[in-house]
Amino acid sequence: MDNVVEYLPLLLQGLRTTLLLAVSTVVVGLALGMLLAMAKLSDHGWLKRPAYALTNFLRGIPEFLVLLVIYFGGTQVLNSILPPGTIEVSPFVAGLIALALIFGSYASETFRAAFQSVPNGQIEAGRAYGFSAWKTFRYIQLPQIWRVAIPGLGNLWQGSVKDTALVSVVGLDDLMRKSGQAAQSTREPFTFYLVASLMFLLITLVSMWIIGRLEKRASRGMAGVR
Amino acid sequence: MVTPNGHGNGRAALEVTGLRKAFGSHEVLKGISLTARDHDVVAILGSSGSGKSTFLRCINLLEIPSAGEVRVKGELIEMTQRRGEPAPANMKQVDRIRSKLSMVFQQFNLWQHMTVLENVTAGQIHVLGRDKAEATEKAEAMLAKVGVADKRSHYPSQLSGGQQQRVAIARALAMDPEVMLFDEPTSALDPELVNEVLRVMRSLAEEGRTMLVVTHEIGFAREAANKVMFLHQGLVEDEGEPRALLANPNSERFRQFLSGSLK
Repeated sequence: MDNVVEYLPLLLQGLRTTLLLAVSTVVVGLALGMLLAMAKLSDHGWLKRPAYALTNFLRGIPEFLVLLVIYFGGTQVLNSILPPGTIEVSPFVAGLIALALIFGSYASETFRAAFQSVPNGQIEAGRAYGFSAWKTFRYIQLPQIWRVAIPGLGNLWQGSVKDTALVSVVGLDDLMRKSGQAAQSTREPFTFYLVASLMFLLITLVSMWIIGRLEKRASRGMAGVR
Repeated sequence: MVTPNGHGNGRAALEVTGLRKAFGSHEVLKGISLTARDHDVVAILGSSGSGKSTFLRCINLLEIPSAGEVRVKGELIEMTQRRGEPAPANMKQVDRIRSKLSMVFQQFNLWQHMTVLENVTAGQIHVLGRDKAEATEKAEAMLAKVGVADKRSHYPSQLSGGQQQRVAIARALAMDPEVMLFDEPTSALDPELVNEVLRVMRSLAEEGRTMLVVTHEIGFAREAANKVMFLHQGLVEDEGEPRALLANPNSERFRQFLSGSLK
């Protein structure tokens, strides 16, 4: 127990990095997922086909491999373009790119289904009243897309939080790595991995509660919800 | 014809000239012209497939006409060609003109995620740029007018079809439209709910609103409209003053249509 107290600041530091990576992943991943979904629903083949190809590829290989390819491959590619040594892909950036790409790929499917669930008449009514394409998207489609997408996105968020642990392998000082360090120095792996598990559990429980609230809020006015 | 409510007195509110629309090789509209003056109520009749809804939807460019001109208050909607297809030249102009042509849909198309009040304020705020207080005041007045003021905090899914359609009419009125377009506004309603909507539409006709109404309600056409247009296979088959025309159509097809729709 003394060891836990002693190493707690270290673990909290790791927790902070984990949370930062997870939140950044979701922010970038949501934007990416929305863009990919729009590309998939586009009438233009030159937008549609690459979007499907990218997301099918990314969803088809293990997350861990995507991370390794981006971490090692990214540095190699950048070094071949720029003078060697000018830039190095940090574990955080590699992790962010890999996890955001994966999040975005899965989210694009969630968003695509959500887009299609908004009845065309709702959009038509917007256009008929003089809403521009953007205003129709912003005020009529987006709020209804959220409602449908939130449960699916909630699942993806839970997955992303846990996938951050993979990034410790390429050297990110996240909760996983910090607890590993503590476990080694104290020779109490069970204690520290348990503490790390509890911290991950805490994140997911709190986020489940928040997602539940968001879902309830977004469902106002929907049939069956009063 | 001049009537106490001003039917037929006004200046041209809407002028449609030679409107054509083809879907692929199938020509739905084969050149339709119509002038509606301020305070006119034009009933557009026709059997299904006659192109009457398509005609209405071409006026506000929900469907892009293949040829022809539409003028609203004298302003021509500018068209151009894009990849060999007709297309609006200026979407800003189209959006501006659409805000003057409120449409009431067969399926109501109220925005499901907004309360009744928000449905009626949204266009005012986001399209006309009114502030929230002004939009709310206007919305409340319009909801009272159509008799659903007590439902302002409800969501559309909590209302009956007739109530939803009256909210949709309030949404249309709140935009202070030059012309109101009604696309079979009572066709999706249970028979017992039709009258509450027709009553509201009649009162709008009486107060001199300019309306184009695609409908199957011959009674409404006879009593509330000052002009009837009968479309058949994409052409104007017959038109005229409602009472005279409905009593004694010029066209044999229109006569058949009317005898078929008498209950």
